[in-house]
Amino acid sequence: MRIEFDKVEKRFGSKVALSIPAWSIESGEVLGLVGSNGAGKTTFLRLLLDLLRPNTGSIKINGRSLAVDASWRGITGSFLDRSFLIEYLTIPEYLEFVGASFGFSKKETYERLAHFESFLPISRVDSTRLLRDLSTGNAKKVGILAALFPTPELVVLDEPFANLDPPSQIRLKDILIRAAQVEHTTMIISSHDLGHVMEVCGRITLLAEGKISRDIETSPETLAELNTFFASEESASAT
Amino acid sequence: MRTPSHMTSSTFLGSFGLLAKNQYKIALRSMQMQQGWFVRIVIGLMMVYSAFILLTLGFFFDRFSEELWPSLDPLTVVNRYLLAMFVSMFFVRFLFQKTPKLKIIPYLHLPIRRSSLVAFFQTSSLFSIHNFYPLLFFIPFWMIYVRESPLADNQNMWLAAVVLLIGTSHFVNLLLRAVLQRKAGVFYALMIVFMVTAFIDETSGIGLQQRISEYLFTGILSGGLVEFSLLFCTFSLVTAASTIQLTRSINNPETREEVTRVTTFAVPESWGLVGQLVRLELLLMWRNRRPRHYMLVSLLFSTMYLLFMLSNAKAFSGYTMAALLGLFASGGFALNYGQLMFGWDSEHYTALVTRNIPFKALVKAKLIVLQGSCVVLFVLSLPLFIWFRPEFVPLHFAFLFYNAGITTILVMELASRNSQAVDIGKSGGFFNYEGFSAKHWLWFIPTALPPVLFMLAMHSRPGLGLIGLATFGFISIMLTDMWTKYFAKGLQARKHTMIEGFSKGAN
Repeated sequence: MRIEFDKVEKRFGSKVALSIPAWSIESGEVLGLVGSNGAGKTTFLRLLLDLLRPNTGSIKINGRSLAVDASWRGITGSFLDRSFLIEYLTIPEYLEFVGASFGFSKKETYERLAHFESFLPISRVDSTRLLRDLSTGNAKKVGILAALFPTPELVVLDEPFANLDPPSQIRLKDILIRAAQVEHTTMIISSHDLGHVMEVCGRITLLAEGKISRDIETSPETLAELNTFFASEESASAT
Repeated sequence: MRTPSHMTSSTFLGSFGLLAKNQYKIALRSMQMQQGWFVRIVIGLMMVYSAFILLTLGFFFDRFSEELWPSLDPLTVVNRYLLAMFVSMFFVRFLFQKTPKLKIIPYLHLPIRRSSLVAFFQTSSLFSIHNFYPLLFFIPFWMIYVRESPLADNQNMWLAAVVLLIGTSHFVNLLLRAVLQRKAGVFYALMIVFMVTAFIDETSGIGLQQRISEYLFTGILSGGLVEFSLLFCTFSLVTAASTIQLTRSINNPETREEVTRVTTFAVPESWGLVGQLVRLELLLMWRNRRPRHYMLVSLLFSTMYLLFMLSNAKAFSGYTMAALLGLFASGGFALNYGQLMFGWDSEHYTALVTRNIPFKALVKAKLIVLQGSCVVLFVLSLPLFIWFRPEFVPLHFAFLFYNAGITTILVMELASRNSQAVDIGKSGGFFNYEGFSAKHWLWFIPTALPPVLFMLAMHSRPGLGLIGLATFGFISIMLTDMWTKYFAKGLQARKHTMIEGFSKGAN
């Protein structure tokens, strides 16, 4: 698994939302995508999932361009927002549907879901309740679970810790770390929560005004470096 | 913290001015965001044409009434059928008129009295095209035939009665829609009661509707205060009831449709991904307000309405017009629901395109649902054709093949080019076309017109025409795999346009 961005630029009107001359991620890497609001994180993820098309450049997964080859969808699990859910389904119906899209039988789907029982107890969920009636936090849990339980090669998550209660945040962190260590899943996680990102991700890509400002290995000094960056950005915007 | 008293006690007129200014801006921007120029021009031309027809009818009604009712004078004809006219216009109003409730919601947190909000939106809702276009007929008719009539003692009261009837119709619609929003089942009960009553009134020769209409308007024309008061009281009652209903609904908002009991069904796993997608489509229809109404109204058309049309031996005597019956009897659902086949998925389209779901599987599932709907509606309406018009049974068969083979393909072609989102029911009103763009109405021209024109061209040899339609349909059904590949390719090419359009949400 290798993802490459080559001379990628995305504009909305005359505004350049993202400009990445060259960037790549290798198999098994866990990357934290950080940056202020409007820095281009969501645009980055939407380009990666082929929900947006770049104005110039190309994005390749395993050497195949997203624009011409949709095979990446069979090895990717993702959750950016509620539009990734099918809200008129119940939790079991939705997860069974996601399983079917990966070619799993119902039995296999539930066997896989059993590994995530501590995060979302599928055996105890109200199977008559529709996703649209769930709280933001619970809906997010379902979305994250749908991205993770098929154990895809690539996982893409946008703000996975936001709206989750503290115990769920801790469990999710453990699940992501385990997926990286045991399954060697490649992950790209966008988050404003620097603490969680530091614990889960081995590499940090910092976006600022649509450009990659830092691309660094996580180390004990990284958190202080990021805090200094955001503090200076804050004081610059205040003046 | 309390809201400052000077804010909540803002003057009634001040609130009106503020709201009017804001609504004007919204209307202006909404107009600028609307359709492309082609659609605007076509809609504009259609409106001018309709206005021309209404004005001509109003000024020269005697020529029309002489043709249809030679023994009656124009004024008697209009008085006799006035209620029926309003009932017909009410259907159009019910389907298209916008209701004020959704417009009020953004203002509820502001320091404006709720009574002022209700008063403003109830009053401004009157500025609807549905309240003005009938006047294009009634004012010229009143000028030419009512004012000049020797039988009329009070011509102005007659016109005032017509305006009151328009107002009544307006508030009945608002009231009915508000009630139906909470109790959708009432709609189907009312539809059935109305159809059965109209059927009995029409076929038994009682003519109750005509008698009431003539009593009211001939009476008013003769200066009858009792008849006018009756109308005035009805108008006042309905206006008050609608206002109370709106006030209640904003004070006790129901944020979403409550689903207390979820019914589900499974498809065999051996049907694979396509089977799961068919299930998804059926659940979408059943669990969401708007698609569900489309499904049920199609069922009502193919049974109750068709019963009404087929039992009237005078109507649809030729094959050209009967083609419309055949088209909608088995293809009503495909024509109505099908053209938004991907729009219904707009809220979760990203859930489909980021998963391992080939476009071919998605298209195939949707075609199965559309073709299946033709078969279901065909079977349901077949007994009516056999019972009332056995001579049209071959036409019904021919249109089964045509609808399943050609109509489904035509609507899918349009659906796969649609990038406008549809609100499937979270906040949408009770069944109506509010929020649908004019473009969708124009789509009926390429989908519904071809077979009618074909049967018109074949009017001297209708049997051959039907064989032709059935053959085209059959060949197209055999080519389903080819169509599937064709639509999948188109969806891939338009993927980003559709995602962008759908992400903007329903208007």
